[in-house]
Amino acid sequence: MNQFDPERLRVFLRNHVTEKLASQGREAPKELGDDCDLLLSGMIDSLGLLELMTAFQEHCGCEIDFDALDPEQMTVVGPLCDFVSSQMARG
Amino acid sequence: MLDRSDCRSIVVDAESLPQLQTLLAGIQTSLLILIPEVDECRTLQEQWPIHHFIGLRDFDGTETWREPAASDNSTAYLLFTSGSTGTPKGVVVAQRNVISFVDYMVERYQINENDRLSQTFDMTFDLSAFDMFVCWERGALLCCPSRKALINPGKFMRDMELTIWFSVPSTIAFMKQLGALKRGNYPSLRLSLFCGEPLPVSSAQSWLEAAPNSVLENLYGPTELTIACTLYRWNAASSSRESELGIVPIGYPYPGMSVLVADQNLNEVPPGGEGELLMTGPQMSLGYWKDPEKTAAAFVIPPGKTDIYYRTGDRVRRPVDRGPLTHLGRIDFQVKVMGHRVELGEIEAIVRDATGFDGTVAVGWPPTPSGYGGVEVFVEGTASDPEAVRRSVACRLPDYMVPRRFHFMGQLPRNVNGKFDRKAILNLLEGGL
Repeated sequence: MNQFDPERLRVFLRNHVTEKLASQGREAPKELGDDCDLLLSGMIDSLGLLELMTAFQEHCGCEIDFDALDPEQMTVVGPLCDFVSSQMARG
Repeated sequence: MLDRSDCRSIVVDAESLPQLQTLLAGIQTSLLILIPEVDECRTLQEQWPIHHFIGLRDFDGTETWREPAASDNSTAYLLFTSGSTGTPKGVVVAQRNVISFVDYMVERYQINENDRLSQTFDMTFDLSAFDMFVCWERGALLCCPSRKALINPGKFMRDMELTIWFSVPSTIAFMKQLGALKRGNYPSLRLSLFCGEPLPVSSAQSWLEAAPNSVLENLYGPTELTIACTLYRWNAASSSRESELGIVPIGYPYPGMSVLVADQNLNEVPPGGEGELLMTGPQMSLGYWKDPEKTAAAFVIPPGKTDIYYRTGDRVRRPVDRGPLTHLGRIDFQVKVMGHRVELGEIEAIVRDATGFDGTVAVGWPPTPSGYGGVEVFVEGTASDPEAVRRSVACRLPDYMVPRRFHFMGQLPRNVNGKFDRKAILNLLEGGL
């Protein structure tokens, strides 16, 4: 299992969101399901989304072309992690 | 003023619902209140029987509608902006203000029925009046994205084949981060307009690489001067040289609008000098709704002048010869958060009320090329339940004004005069607090 496996990316995303919420004095939900929309659920705002994109790029050590991702899916846990993973697999 | 001008309706979007109670508390005449994002408004209707509420279900479109008579000084719209004392100020914009603006815009940009315009601004932001009125005046098509679609503005632009884009400059930085500003990405754009906050030179350049067929203009204007009242067309040969502090100039006044750059006594500064920007002309609004004090403070007759000028609170440099006006910042505690005008005092007032602690300082953070990404609050005191404070503040402010973090501290930094030291507080954040 490589470090850009979708499951590992889910763990990374959950840690990132939990950390961000904690810094705002907020508690993260116990589960972060695949169909959870981070934006619509109020867990992140548009600035938070940028921070998350930057965190993914730092984690992966390269630029990721998020422009190719459908905006309907961009803030949803499952599709977002699968997208990043597929981008990394393509190299 | 609302009475005199027969203004009888307001539009409220979902994000502004928390502020509705405060607004209605000061209103004695019956209003028509449209809340298109709410299905039905029975609860509000029962609470405020003198007003009429209309939700989504009430729009059935079967009744016949006739255009009401309006005179030049009739109110076109009443728009509430952030106020430093915790109560929003209602700007009364007249028919003639908007007509003057729209007439100039459709002519200058030669808007026509083949144009497809973006609609990125909230209804509570007066720039949305450009999107609607300028577009419909010439029968162009207005393309309204869903909230989610704006997460990827580039895709929306391509899918809709937009010819005219209008947004806050923050969108450029956002798209750059997403990797959405690749060379030649948006060939359909013929015109790109930015307004609402300072436009960085680097943003303008990146945008034009992605939209090579587009003219780019930077617009400037407070709500009190009706949407926009100065503009500047980007020119690859001369604009970098004309820019100051890495920010694109705000340019030249609209036709009929006059500029005065003044010192603190409201006397004009010499060419090349810095001062507050004051303006007057056909787009100057009627003042603040039912607030003669604030109106008198902001709408003034400077020494030696006979006209009333509006004090913008913006610091600019008076041009030498025929150069453009350049924007240098604010003279007070107002900040721009993602293009929205935010009085830090309004947030401080609400946090003070929620915590009971007087020592409260709000600051814009983190800095972005065109303002701030959000707001953070420092409170002198300890909260037993910080989450409860956050919730109570959040339900009284629109999203963009809700502090992203609360810092409860035993003591806040103060300067030699004993005042809270905003600079030292910002240093804490810069240090990675």
